[in-house]
Amino acid sequence: MNKFLLFILFTANISLAQQDFPKITLKNLNNQNINTSDFNKNDRLYVYSFWATWCAPCIQELESISDVYDDWKSELDLEIIAVATDDSRTEKRVKPMINGKGWEYTFLLDTNQDLKRKLSIANIPYLVVVKNGKIVYIQNGHTPGAEDELLETLKGL
Amino acid sequence: MKKITILSFVFFSIISFSQEDKEKIKGNFFGGFESNSQWYTNDKDRGINHPEDPFRSNNYLNANYNYGKWTAGVQGEGYLPNALLNYNPKYEKANVATYYLNYRSSKINATAGYFYEQFGSGLLLRSWEDRSLGINNALRGGKIKYTPTDNLSFTALYGRQRTGFDIANGDVFGFNSEINLFRMLKIESSDLSLGFSYVGRKETTTIINPNFNELTNGFAGRLNFSKNSFYFSAEYNFKTEDGILYDSKTVYNDFVKPGSALLLNGGYSKKGFGLDVTLRRLENMSFYSEREPEVFSPEKTSIYYNDRLMNFVPSLTKQHHFNLANIYVYQAQARVSLDFDNGIAKAGEIGGQIDIYYDFPKETALGGKYGTKISANFSNWNNLKGDYNLFPPEYKTDFLGAGEKYFSDFNLEINKKFSKKFSSTFAFINQYYNNRLITGAANTVIKANILAAEFDYNLSKGRAAKLAIEHMWADNDRKNWIAMLFEYNINTRFSVFASDMYNYGYDKDANLIDHETDPFDIHFYNFGGAYKKGSTRFAINYGRQRGGLVCAGGVCRFVPPSTGLGMSITTSFN
Repeated sequence: MNKFLLFILFTANISLAQQDFPKITLKNLNNQNINTSDFNKNDRLYVYSFWATWCAPCIQELESISDVYDDWKSELDLEIIAVATDDSRTEKRVKPMINGKGWEYTFLLDTNQDLKRKLSIANIPYLVVVKNGKIVYIQNGHTPGAEDELLETLKGL
Repeated sequence: MKKITILSFVFFSIISFSQEDKEKIKGNFFGGFESNSQWYTNDKDRGINHPEDPFRSNNYLNANYNYGKWTAGVQGEGYLPNALLNYNPKYEKANVATYYLNYRSSKINATAGYFYEQFGSGLLLRSWEDRSLGINNALRGGKIKYTPTDNLSFTALYGRQRTGFDIANGDVFGFNSEINLFRMLKIESSDLSLGFSYVGRKETTTIINPNFNELTNGFAGRLNFSKNSFYFSAEYNFKTEDGILYDSKTVYNDFVKPGSALLLNGGYSKKGFGLDVTLRRLENMSFYSEREPEVFSPEKTSIYYNDRLMNFVPSLTKQHHFNLANIYVYQAQARVSLDFDNGIAKAGEIGGQIDIYYDFPKETALGGKYGTKISANFSNWNNLKGDYNLFPPEYKTDFLGAGEKYFSDFNLEINKKFSKKFSSTFAFINQYYNNRLITGAANTVIKANILAAEFDYNLSKGRAAKLAIEHMWADNDRKNWIAMLFEYNINTRFSVFASDMYNYGYDKDANLIDHETDPFDIHFYNFGGAYKKGSTRFAINYGRQRGGLVCAGGVCRFVPPSTGLGMSITTSFN
């Protein structure tokens, strides 16, 4: 058995290559199919924020970014794509909650967690920043009040 | 020891792999590693002795390689030297858990090997992974999805479910179609889409002259409509006649029934306001790839570990983040249970929930400078009304009509931001929990009221403090609880926390719920810290885990009372 684990680790070792963001089709709030490869504007920063309606720190993070989103967009060519990982237990809550909060992000539904699984995300909140199809930055967890620092990081990408 | 040295050498060489080398190789490698371990200790005050193997860990290594249209992957799992307490006993030692080969073009997406899939809301078929619950019911076989246009898709699949490092005996067949009708007809102002699914499960039975077919068929039709701020969806699922478990372990040939599920949802939402209503009726909708569970001990069968579960029947209630609101958790009632010993007769559930979200505009009396947000949720679930006969087992339900109440939850949450640095959340939660009818374990009904407040204070440079205080007044079981949590972020990478839960006002002779009950007068303290960087997170904690249910997505796992040191590492490589 350990030979097997060793094999995986070796494979990982030789093939650790580029950092392409997975191409996958998900639904948006209007039930339309959206492929992640559609987010392909040259040099734009696509910030995928993985969240769920039951995840308090995720909501806290999206709330605080929401307050400064317009300022960010005036400084950077950036788009935030909030990916709801809610399964069918809470999926129906996504739409009214987003509107109730008045958030103005792009939204995707990852109902059976296909994208989350592809990125091996264990815990949310989790941010993946993609530029020209490549993953350029990852942040896991949320630190309250660290939005300014995140903005500085994004400016450097 | 030698092996560990080699392994760590390889692991660190991955981490230190240079960017230059990466550029040379084409293709794309991705995956992740997760390890959750626990050092169980003795706890004299609670009368707990650690298990024979005090150190236990669950480890998952996932590696995938993508080249053009092809992707292949494998997941290895190690439960070393044993799985964490109360995980499915079929998770033993280390082995290859799942593997797959996938081909993907613009119209075809085909997978051979293990795969995950969900049809509609999953009431007939959902295969997924949830490591905190020990669920991985991936199907092993083949799946093909054909998407001729953006508005049409068809999926066909065959497989057998994963159970531990083995596969189940039942064959699963599935077909699913989705049609975006209005978009196909170029009606732009609104959306209407339809879905149809078939799921078949074929398992040989040892019953001679069975009164049911070895192939059980499931059909589902779905409809989704939305126009401007309004939306509506309906789904009906039907499962053909199948033998029902009588004593929760064996199929009784003279007790054969069909099953059904109806799910309705509608809502209205615009900026600053959201209203959502969900109604559901379930009757005999438990669906496993083997009719009879594997029995591990008198109390514990494969059903107890959510093993060989084919569909997803979540409890439609609010998933609370406050600790005390997660003591009395509802579990959806999909199964038929005619329990002679406890006099319980149930065949499903009927009920619903309502959600309201409202955002008071800024610069108004209630909105203040930074805004005030409120959300309210109400859910209520009852048994199906009908005539039940315990022996011989038989029931006849009314389509509409509520029987005895299982559970209700009314909750209100107010979110108020006072300044750029200071915000708070206040919550009131009222719960009714009929334990006799839900779990059949104790003849207890609990009414509880919870008040909770959370304060967040942000300092500069990622320093932040959180304080949460909760109190629960309960009229039964262990009565009242008080809980506190303090969390401090030293910077954006390091955080520490300390928490405590204490139970008081109890009556030691009361009719308690848990069969592995903790003694009274116990502080359930916990403290720890976490370090995170990029995709990696390392967390450590020491403390007491209360015995009870740990739930995710409406599915629960029972964890025994324990004390000890926990560690977790998660990382992904992309």
